[in-house]
Amino acid sequence: MRKMATLLAASAMFALAFAPAKADTPPDTLVMAWQFDDIISLDPAEVFEFSAAEIMGNTYERLFGYDLKNVSDLFGVVAETWEVSEDGKTLTFKIREGTKFASGNDLTAEDVVFSLHRAVKLDKSPAFILTQFGFTTENVEEKIVQTGDYEFTFEMDQAYAPTFVLYCLTSTVASVVDKNLVLENEADGDLGYEWLKRNYAGSGPFALRQWRPNEAVVLERNDNFSGDKAPLTRVIYQHVPESSTQRLMLERGDIDIARNLGPEEIASLKSAEGIKIETGDKGGIYYLGLNQKNETLAIPQVRQALKYLIDYEAIADTIMAGQVQVHQAFLPKGFLGAVEDTPFQLDVEKAKELLAEAGLADGFSVTMDTRNTPDITGMGEAIQQTFAQGGVKLELIPGDGAQTLTKNRAREHDIYIGRWGPDYQDPNTNADAFAANPDNSDDASAKPLAWRNAWDIPELTEKVRAAVLETDGEKRAALYEEMQREVMETGPFVIMFQEIEVAAMRDNVDGFIIGPSFDANQYGAATKN
Amino acid sequence: MGNLATSSRRGRLRKWLTTNEPISRGQARLGSAYRSWLAFSRNPLAMLGLIIVLALIIIAIFADQIATPSPVVGGDLRTERLQPPGENHWLGTDNQARDIFSRLVHGSRLTLMVVMLVTVIAMPIGLLIGTVAGYMGGWVDAVLMRITDIFLAFPRLILALAFVAALGPGIVNAVIAIAITSWPPYARIARAETLTIRNSDFVLAVRLQGASPFRIITRHIVPLCIPSVIIRVTLDMAGIILTAAGLGFLGLGAQPPTPEWGAMIAAGRQFIIDYWWVATMPGIAIFVVSLGFNLLGDGLRDVLDPKAEK
Repeated sequence: MRKMATLLAASAMFALAFAPAKADTPPDTLVMAWQFDDIISLDPAEVFEFSAAEIMGNTYERLFGYDLKNVSDLFGVVAETWEVSEDGKTLTFKIREGTKFASGNDLTAEDVVFSLHRAVKLDKSPAFILTQFGFTTENVEEKIVQTGDYEFTFEMDQAYAPTFVLYCLTSTVASVVDKNLVLENEADGDLGYEWLKRNYAGSGPFALRQWRPNEAVVLERNDNFSGDKAPLTRVIYQHVPESSTQRLMLERGDIDIARNLGPEEIASLKSAEGIKIETGDKGGIYYLGLNQKNETLAIPQVRQALKYLIDYEAIADTIMAGQVQVHQAFLPKGFLGAVEDTPFQLDVEKAKELLAEAGLADGFSVTMDTRNTPDITGMGEAIQQTFAQGGVKLELIPGDGAQTLTKNRAREHDIYIGRWGPDYQDPNTNADAFAANPDNSDDASAKPLAWRNAWDIPELTEKVRAAVLETDGEKRAALYEEMQREVMETGPFVIMFQEIEVAAMRDNVDGFIIGPSFDANQYGAATKN
Repeated sequence: MGNLATSSRRGRLRKWLTTNEPISRGQARLGSAYRSWLAFSRNPLAMLGLIIVLALIIIAIFADQIATPSPVVGGDLRTERLQPPGENHWLGTDNQARDIFSRLVHGSRLTLMVVMLVTVIAMPIGLLIGTVAGYMGGWVDAVLMRITDIFLAFPRLILALAFVAALGPGIVNAVIAIAITSWPPYARIARAETLTIRNSDFVLAVRLQGASPFRIITRHIVPLCIPSVIIRVTLDMAGIILTAAGLGFLGLGAQPPTPEWGAMIAAGRQFIIDYWWVATMPGIAIFVVSLGFNLLGDGLRDVLDPKAEK
């Protein structure tokens, strides 16, 4: 009998220990559920992933920033002023004085120059944002030179448009790292690369405390931050891959913000008590890449026809409701020169005429590599149905992100449905991807989207290269408009949507800002009441 | 009067079937089958299993007549998407405004096809390897059984996943992968049966008459192994369906828009809280069909297994 009682007591305690406790998150801590399985490094010289970029944006400061509401309004962050030399090739920057790193070290021009040298020398994925100005591991020390405690010069190979340069310096790769701290942790001359992958040497509103892959990222307030100190003591990201789990956690109050909810979940949370939904336009573009190595897809009328065989509006209103808006130019809204016309809509008759012109009145069969996430598969199936109306038999080949992307990058796909995010806020980032292809051979060194789809466009490439040298803002905008219309009309890209980011949060959260780019989501001023 | 006549004819047939002194081989065989059927039909659960499986086959054959809406082409995305079960759509519609009932009905063809193909591929392989290993013995036995051991050492779904990943996703590759992973148990059973009969008098007798090992295995050993293998295969069919659905769920089986049940559950997963029917309906279908095959297998074992004789 006593044994029985002990057993009962033990099992009761066991049950209690694992019962779901409804606990609000601590008042000074912001807890978010998010999918961040893409993080591979937290070194700003290496970060090129969506999730890691957001963390960089809140923990490091960059030379320049832009107004989140109006991207064309640039201002200095670490930099205070800048001057352009007469020949337009050299920029002289003055660094703001009195800024400190989280470690307590002063932030000087030495740190800035070190950070830029380091990014170029490490030569990781985002390094091209800096090296496109003519820097190489050999010459960077002569080209970017410290000229005073708070001053340095930046010498480029050509007279690029100053705004283009400054936008590049707003990207994560231009984050300023703490030279002394990084060098203290250097091993075998790696410039602190192994150490900084998992550690922190920045000056942003938050300091990185811990990253446990696929589990949690913990940020703490940086009390040495030179701007307004963050009201929150702590920000915790929890890795929650399933969106329905995120929703349940939010409803129960286990988290403050759910970041990866689907349209149906958002719709039903809209009416839920104590929960609010916030949205922001993002720079991400959903598009179909039509490989020009495929003989059928290389026919101009076929490319044109496919653009008329997608029900853009219906997809944006249903399957992707609230997550995308119809957008058909390669520059997202808010960029310099972005075209907002949407000339294409579902028009089966017109598509059939175009196909008949191409000698394919009976239609044709083609495959599409489709990432097996719900959003991409959902769009893929909807496109499959409208293609079928025009007689185009579309076979979806599902695969995970790495598989489909690898095939796309090797130019082995027919059609690839993808999402493209701009690397920085200057129009050149997308023009360079969609409208430039300097070398269409299989072993080219530069492999932009135009190359991935084997679109050989020497003339358009020239235009893209010329546009970065145009210093007059209006003329430059006009150049990009022209390129966008040309890609829209003739390009092998069916550009469909611009992304909208949605976050559902408890209604006591204020000041969480969804910015236009992936590294511009900010919570430095967020509060919980 | 006519009634009386038919009933007496039926009675005579019954007597002919159940006689203790059959006068021909055919009569003996039919009689034994009839007695098995009597035993089988007395088991209500086994009958339920049989009815489910027969229903599945009928539905698969007449899918086009039973469910008229297209299983792959959806309706209007704006008005017909994610509709609850109702008059127009008995089991509701899914994310692409497709009728779920129609998808389930057409999906039964796929399920049945997978089960049959796997059986057709895996059973002969298992039988052949098992009987050869059991009859030959020695190093042939050792080599064949170690290969079997290697396959048995991996969990089935994991091994199937590995094969599909190597072969590429698709229903045909899924079938091949499942077949490759499901023959080892049959080989084991066939070998065990063979070991018990390889030295029986009738085998020794044919060997003395000069029969080749090939003839002995195919004409005298395989027929005796078949019943136990069939039982095992029927019991495994539920597992095959679940593995196929599992591959579909993980995106490695049938490709969209094919109405494969596992893939349907995967697609409905994201709506499970607000639109429960999208994932639930194919789930129920998989459950019912797996249960049917299991019950049928159980019933067959009771009837066919000579060692469990009444």
